Amino acid sequence: MLDSKLGIIGLISDAGPVVLFVLSVLLSFSIGSWAIMAFKFTSLRKSLKESRMFLDFFFDVSGVEKLFTESEKYRYGSLPKVFRSGYIEYRALEESSETRQAKARIARAVKREANAENKNLIGLVPFLATVGNTAPFIGLFGTVWGIMTSFHNIGVTQSASLAAVAPGISEALIATAAGLAAAIPAVIGYNYFTQQISIIERDIEEFSPEFVAVLINELYRP
Amino acid sequence: MKKGKQVYIQHNFYLWLAAAAVIHAVVLFAAAYFQIWNAGNHVTPKIVTVTLVSLPGSTGGAQEFSGRNDGTEATPVQPSVREVSFPEVKQAIKLPAAKELPLPPKVIAEKSPLSKSADRQLHINKALDSIKQLVDKKTTLLSQSSSASTLQSALAKLKQKVKLAGEPAGEGNGSVAGSRGGRSSAGKVSGRGGTSEGYKAEVASIIQKNWVFSKALLKKSEGMVVYVRINIFPDGTINQIIFDRRAVSEYLNNSVTKAIERSSPLPVLPKEDAFRDVWIGFVFSPEGIEQ
Repeated sequence: MLDSKLGIIGLISDAGPVVLFVLSVLLSFSIGSWAIMAFKFTSLRKSLKESRMFLDFFFDVSGVEKLFTESEKYRYGSLPKVFRSGYIEYRALEESSETRQAKARIARAVKREANAENKNLIGLVPFLATVGNTAPFIGLFGTVWGIMTSFHNIGVTQSASLAAVAPGISEALIATAAGLAAAIPAVIGYNYFTQQISIIERDIEEFSPEFVAVLINELYRP
Repeated sequence: MKKGKQVYIQHNFYLWLAAAAVIHAVVLFAAAYFQIWNAGNHVTPKIVTVTLVSLPGSTGGAQEFSGRNDGTEATPVQPSVREVSFPEVKQAIKLPAAKELPLPPKVIAEKSPLSKSADRQLHINKALDSIKQLVDKKTTLLSQSSSASTLQSALAKLKQKVKLAGEPAGEGNGSVAGSRGGRSSAGKVSGRGGTSEGYKAEVASIIQKNWVFSKALLKKSEGMVVYVRINIFPDGTINQIIFDRRAVSEYLNNSVTKAIERSSPLPVLPKEDAFRDVWIGFVFSPEGIEQ
């Protein structure tokens, strides 16, 4: 009986409503942040891999049509997406035979897609930062509340023995532990993903002018 | 096309969300299961009891009596040695007995719990018998010869320890022998200089009744001995509680303090101690050798 009371289930079942609410919030934070981390990890890895493969092909092949056909294979890569948007604009210009301000229009299309891609990449990642920053404080709030309740109970029972004080405090401390358990992976994930995203963003920034140049050259080729 | 892709991405994210929820549930259940399993493996002491032992009869009134009995003939050191020795002999002999107690782990692991407990009981009985034999042997040896045996040196050490521990409260150990002598000449106190055994037993039973102690909170049995002496006024009020030795577990220490506090006031002191306060020592241990 006493041993089971000391376990996690015992601590949670004996906790007050506020501590339980805090624990449920932290649990949802943790689930959300782990889901985001898994989702982002797979999507960013795919994007990086496909971007690299497309770049290799980009430097090997000179024909725009071939590049476009190849880019169609890479549905999740950021660089192929940006190239495709430029190519679509190039095709529109070519069909309308309206070549005035062609460079600006292709550059604008590429820029628009680059921005959209950046937004996609960074999406959901700020949640990790939010969890990393707030979860310890939410946990601390639960702990403070639990200790307040514990001290109140000590006053009511008029017993300050270790047996009376310790369970309440250990119940309260589980909230801080849960907060840290949610925050630590979130912070690690946030740092990792921002670093990976910055790599992709830099690639987009560097190669967008290249794409525009290739498409303009193709457009003005006699 | 783009919408379809967005739907795919969302679907993918929800899949991960579900996976994360499942993993969290699994981790929580695993942690709970591990704790239950760990608690099942935890061996708790079977007997929790209070052992009563009288400390060297350092009565509280020693100071005041010593002054009055200057002229009286001081009793030789022997009674005081005997008085100190009896509990200390017990304590000294506990150590080798404890060595005999450990059970062979492999054999026990293979046996059923029933036979295990029976074996354990058998071992305990054997250990108790050997302790009794040792006590008898050593007490007779002690009374017969006054030569410096190993037992005596151990006793002297223990006595020294007890004296040192009792210094702040006792206010001058040098007066103990004299005071005892004075009292014994006055015919108030028995040869051992302590309070009557009946009264001690009564006090012990009262304290034991008030002792709330959960054995499950003791994760290990080593160092779980508390030496306490209490100063009792003639009207039975507990004046002072002194820990001569604390247990490793603060929980045990606190439970002892609580038990003594709850027991106050104790019964009025017997007639022979009606005009002075007395010190009584206890040893609280969860070993359960003395039943």
